[in-house]
Amino acid sequence: MPANNSVAWKNLKSHAYSMSKTHISSLFTDEPERFSNFTFSQNNLLLDLSKQRINKESLTLLIQLAEERSLCEWIKNLFNGAHVNDSEDRPALHTALRSPANSSLSINGKNIIEDVHNNLARMESMVNRVHSGQWRGFTGHPIDTVVNIGVGGSDLGPLMACKALSENQTDTAQNIKIHFVSSMDGSQLAELLNSLNPARTLFVISSKSFTTIDTLANAQTAKKWLKKSSSTASEETLVSRHFIGVSANPDKAKEWGIPKSNQLEFWDWTGGRYSMWSAIGLPIAMQLGMKGFREFLSGAHSMDEHFRTAPLAENLPVLLAMVGIWNINFLHINAHAILPYDGRLSPLPAYLEQLEMESNGKSVDRQGNAINYKTCPILWGEVGTNAQHAFYQLLHQGTEAVMCDFIVAARRYHDTDNPELQHQHQLNLANCLAQSRILSLGDSVLEGAADAPAFKRYKGNQPCTTIMLDELNPFSFGQLIAMYEHKVFVQSVIWNINPFDQWGVELGKTVATSLLSALSPEKAQPTFDSSTNGLLNRIAERGA
Amino acid sequence: MKVTIWGNELLAWTSAAALAESGNHVVLVNNEHELPDEVETEFKVSNEPGLEQLLTETKATGRLAMGTDQLGINHASVHILALNPDQFGTAELLIARLSAKHSNNLLIINQSNFGVGSTDRLQNRLDACNNQVISYIPNMLAEGTALQDYKTPLTYIIGCTNDWAMLNIKALFRPFSQVTTQWLLMTSKEAEFTKFANTGMLALRLGYINELANLADQLDVDIEVIRAAMITDPRIGPHYLHPGCGFGGLHFQQYIEALSELLSETRNSKLLDTVLTENEKQKEQPFRKLWRHYDCDLEKRTISIWGLSFKAGTASIDNAPSLKIIDALLAQNCKIQVHDPEAMSNIQKYFGDHSTLTYCDNSYDALKGSDALLLLTDWPEYWSPDLDKMKELMINPLIIDGRNLLDKELLVNSGFKYYGVGR
Repeated sequence: MPANNSVAWKNLKSHAYSMSKTHISSLFTDEPERFSNFTFSQNNLLLDLSKQRINKESLTLLIQLAEERSLCEWIKNLFNGAHVNDSEDRPALHTALRSPANSSLSINGKNIIEDVHNNLARMESMVNRVHSGQWRGFTGHPIDTVVNIGVGGSDLGPLMACKALSENQTDTAQNIKIHFVSSMDGSQLAELLNSLNPARTLFVISSKSFTTIDTLANAQTAKKWLKKSSSTASEETLVSRHFIGVSANPDKAKEWGIPKSNQLEFWDWTGGRYSMWSAIGLPIAMQLGMKGFREFLSGAHSMDEHFRTAPLAENLPVLLAMVGIWNINFLHINAHAILPYDGRLSPLPAYLEQLEMESNGKSVDRQGNAINYKTCPILWGEVGTNAQHAFYQLLHQGTEAVMCDFIVAARRYHDTDNPELQHQHQLNLANCLAQSRILSLGDSVLEGAADAPAFKRYKGNQPCTTIMLDELNPFSFGQLIAMYEHKVFVQSVIWNINPFDQWGVELGKTVATSLLSALSPEKAQPTFDSSTNGLLNRIAERGA
Repeated sequence: MKVTIWGNELLAWTSAAALAESGNHVVLVNNEHELPDEVETEFKVSNEPGLEQLLTETKATGRLAMGTDQLGINHASVHILALNPDQFGTAELLIARLSAKHSNNLLIINQSNFGVGSTDRLQNRLDACNNQVISYIPNMLAEGTALQDYKTPLTYIIGCTNDWAMLNIKALFRPFSQVTTQWLLMTSKEAEFTKFANTGMLALRLGYINELANLADQLDVDIEVIRAAMITDPRIGPHYLHPGCGFGGLHFQQYIEALSELLSETRNSKLLDTVLTENEKQKEQPFRKLWRHYDCDLEKRTISIWGLSFKAGTASIDNAPSLKIIDALLAQNCKIQVHDPEAMSNIQKYFGDHSTLTYCDNSYDALKGSDALLLLTDWPEYWSPDLDKMKELMINPLIIDGRNLLDKELLVNSGFKYYGVGR
């Protein structure tokens, strides 16, 4: 039965009819205790849904929908290693990557938790070697720069985590610089290499398949750069001292030249966009040290346990997901802004764009049928205080309804003796609260606003969620990201789609390969569509 | 004269021994006193040649006693501060107590390196009108020759502008000033600056010659030829111009760090900071030569080290290149065999029991089955080794000479592979 044909869906539809005429400001007037009725927490992470256009009945009906879609069953399957990724016939076990060493999970007769922890131990020895200054380059100087070469999940996650946790760098990492390179055109890498010392640079080549063209092209450039700087050391020596491979395909990595002793493994049951908890997180561990990295994993694990065991009506990822379902499918809002009020979280919007849109940007259900309801909305975002000077105009006065996530830490700089920075955090908090207040309540928050001319009015009624951490640290950051991961899963269950594949990105790679030959010097007259032909001809004329 | 000496540094012990030897009644207050900022590292009297013996002798005469802080304060009105650079807080408290006890005619000689201007800050806590005076005399002792330096100084640099205090200082140092040709009198701030300036100059010379040596390595030029020519210029002279695998020692390094910080904070100058950074790299240079010789793979190699103290003539291993090199070799799973004529017990205490680290009493024992010898300290006994015996003992006759002790041509002719510093 299609998701939108169920009893709960229909009940929600008629409930939405009455709620769609309600303004969020009137919900607050009618219900003074709204904050305590619609906030939920897990281990110091607070989820405030009170500025959503919902009431108690909405939540009850949404939980009924989740039950009707057998969500509890699905959660169990996710954790147990059932093949929830049916199009690729495999499990999605990112939760296993953060399970403690004393747990166990058998997949094909093998305890994968043991594999995970063995791999973490190998990661630890690499991290310690670099941190102690004993990972030596070809001249014998210690490595002091780590360059992560990867793309998509092998880039966005570690990049975001390193930025988010920049203030949590461990002492032994003070002298280690970490860089990320992803773009295929080589511009990032070329500029970076100009400023690096080859003798002291370690490259981490992260690719699940170790065939990703973007990554291998950059890796090849890095290898050539090293060879150019050393006339004496052999290629084998250079690669063994300056490259670590992180891959689910160790043979391919070996073929490229990386010895097994320099390889870290992850497994095909880890999706790329769920992989920063695995060895793909090596740059994170290089920055935080393994103690910090393990805190990050344990924050995510605590959210996993909450997701697995808490009743649906108190379950943060479930509530976050179901409120999204409400906005998308019942209030017909198809835009979602991610607004972190914390400069350290600047890569979070890009990360969630991939997590949500690559997972749930689908229009065929698990049975292969076309879907006739909306799935993943368009996500975008920016650090809130910057976005205030950019697209907030549209949020406040445009014609699009947009749901907004505000993400902020209650504490920052509290342990410094820098009053200027402390004041800046206050300013930041004030802006965060002000914007979500106006977006949801409109100018009703101001007395006499109704008398203002139309172009000065703020209609409000944009549903807002606030996620407040006590402070941003490895543990809370792990919780935050795990919460979004599970939210995405819950929504996929409601929509009956597979969130763990990404077939929509394959065709582009194939067509690009066929166009590559059309760009070669010995090309024949192109035979594509007239636009592509025209552009190819233009390149032939002007590109040389 | 009755004198109390405060501190647990080389200077404290050396001046206690020398002053007691020349008839003064000395109380030395070091690790027993109940003062803050206690320095945790214990000073090793045995590291310094002749010192332990003189201390034993002067204690036997009854003129040198170890005491508590209370005893030290009451004992004398002449006090020498030989504290660690980190103990400025201790000095401030001590000055307050001394001032309360000796309301007039109190002479304090500060020889601790608290930084430029710090003696003046301490003087502000005293009453100069009643002859409560603190002066500054830079500590010019070198580890290894401390007693000799103390007892036969050619020059006294004295930061003192009070006549009464100057009279007493001259009297105190009279037994040692028979060969002294110059008394340079200046303000304490100027004297502090002088100490810093000297130390920085020496570090710069060492840093410069090492930088040249590394360049010579790459250009295939022998730095020893260059050095021999350079020192004929009287404006340059021969001192502190030997290339090597980095300088160490406790005080030299500590002073340069302090000076580097001062320069960087007040002048935004990275001059000495660069010298320090490069010196740390220089300490690992013998390791790097070894690493490249064996194509970046030292797994299971047997490596011998001769010389562990930071320089010849002392057992001290403070900031010695050997520490960094042993760490690097341990991390590469090498088998390491080490020897030093004086520093064995210090190094053993530092590294403890290690299955891959062997402490050898005889320098030739350290060469058995060796893939390379690293020479890190210029002890006299390493200057003319028995080359035949060495070749017999070593599996690979490879010598990496971190002090340019040996004759390159002779070694090469005898079938050794030789790497020096800049040659």
